[in-house]
Amino acid sequence: MSAIPASSTEGTPASIPDTPVRTGPLLVAFGVGSAVAIGLGVYGRLHGATGQALNLAGFSSGIAAKAWLTTAAFVFALVQIFTATILYGRIKISGAWVAPVHRWSGRIAVALLVPVAVHCLYALGFQGYSGRVLLHSILGCFFFGAFVAKMLILTRDDSPGWALPAVGGAVFSAFVALWMTAALWFFATNGVTT
Amino acid sequence: MTHRSPLVTLAGLVVAFAIFFGINLANSAPRQATGPGYSSASPSASSQSNQTESPSTTQQVTPTASPSETATAEPEGDQFPEKVVYAGRTDDDSTAIAVAVLGDRAAAYVCDGRNVESWMRGSAGDGELNLRAKNGDTVEAKLEGSTIDGTIELGDEKLDFTIDEAKRPAGLYRVRGSGYTIGWIVLPDGSQVGIEARDDGTSTAAPKLDPDQPDVEVNGESVTPKPVEGDEDI
Repeated sequence: MSAIPASSTEGTPASIPDTPVRTGPLLVAFGVGSAVAIGLGVYGRLHGATGQALNLAGFSSGIAAKAWLTTAAFVFALVQIFTATILYGRIKISGAWVAPVHRWSGRIAVALLVPVAVHCLYALGFQGYSGRVLLHSILGCFFFGAFVAKMLILTRDDSPGWALPAVGGAVFSAFVALWMTAALWFFATNGVTT
Repeated sequence: MTHRSPLVTLAGLVVAFAIFFGINLANSAPRQATGPGYSSASPSASSQSNQTESPSTTQQVTPTASPSETATAEPEGDQFPEKVVYAGRTDDDSTAIAVAVLGDRAAAYVCDGRNVESWMRGSAGDGELNLRAKNGDTVEAKLEGSTIDGTIELGDEKLDFTIDEAKRPAGLYRVRGSGYTIGWIVLPDGSQVGIEARDDGTSTAAPKLDPDQPDVEVNGESVTPKPVEGDEDI
């Protein structure tokens, strides 16, 4: 059973002949993802966090800018989850737009996250002084590792059927938890403000 | 069949990371000790990550070593007392510094009460102190009787100092709360210099420490600053 639902791959017929399932590439994808996650964590821990501010015009502070950037990413992530559900047949909507919207909403969401993640890593580092912060640090590493694994899995058609939904779900769940441990916390303590 | 567009996405991600890292690197300009032109929100950077790695000391405050312990000079030179704190101002009076020594370990805090602060740790032995902050700032000093004489290096800036032993309530104090770390230097003349460094990168002057009150109120929570003894992992 191939990993990618038939309706999503552009230019292929609705039913793809079954390609054999291989676990080797899957292990490689998870291995590379893990290496990325661990690498980010180690870097975040060892590199002396510089504490410098992220200055974005229109926002009162770096942390407010990050909270809003990630909230915008959240909107795109929701679009991605919605289109994923369509791609897997759980919602009965059809159209050639679903797959490209799924991909592009994901790309935009991740693009919005990059300046936030880089600032978090570079200026704040991997921290453990509170549960919230420890969870955020761990999940931040995990999120990017899972994302890399997801991209690698997507390059091939021979992953087990559960792999893509599992990794996609992990990416989304990690993102939600990241948003809650940072942006939501910020809005809860400072109000929904810029 | 292989699909290339996920790899394109990955490549885009790596490039975006590299760009923003470059921006951050370019923005961590060498620190100035003072100056309105200074652009970064928190100049003394490494302190935040340093402090959060260590558990707070829970020991009660004990009296610092008395001066008579340092009077016995070894033939090679002065030796530090087992436990001592030095505090004072740099020669140009711009910045305060406090150094806590415990055995052969030392911790130091350099602070001007406005926007310069640096936590350092290192070693004390044979009358010499060598301390380093995570961002590379250093303090080197030599013991002479009951004073230490040395130089702070913050980026390109060098500040000389000669400071005395500090007796309680003078000394070095620190507290960590949710989202911030505060350091105070209480000088022998009773004045205080301190900075509250928040984890979002901003910093302000520290709230006033009252030697008669063990607790201090920060952002609505009551916290107890602890004296820094010298062997903290900061």
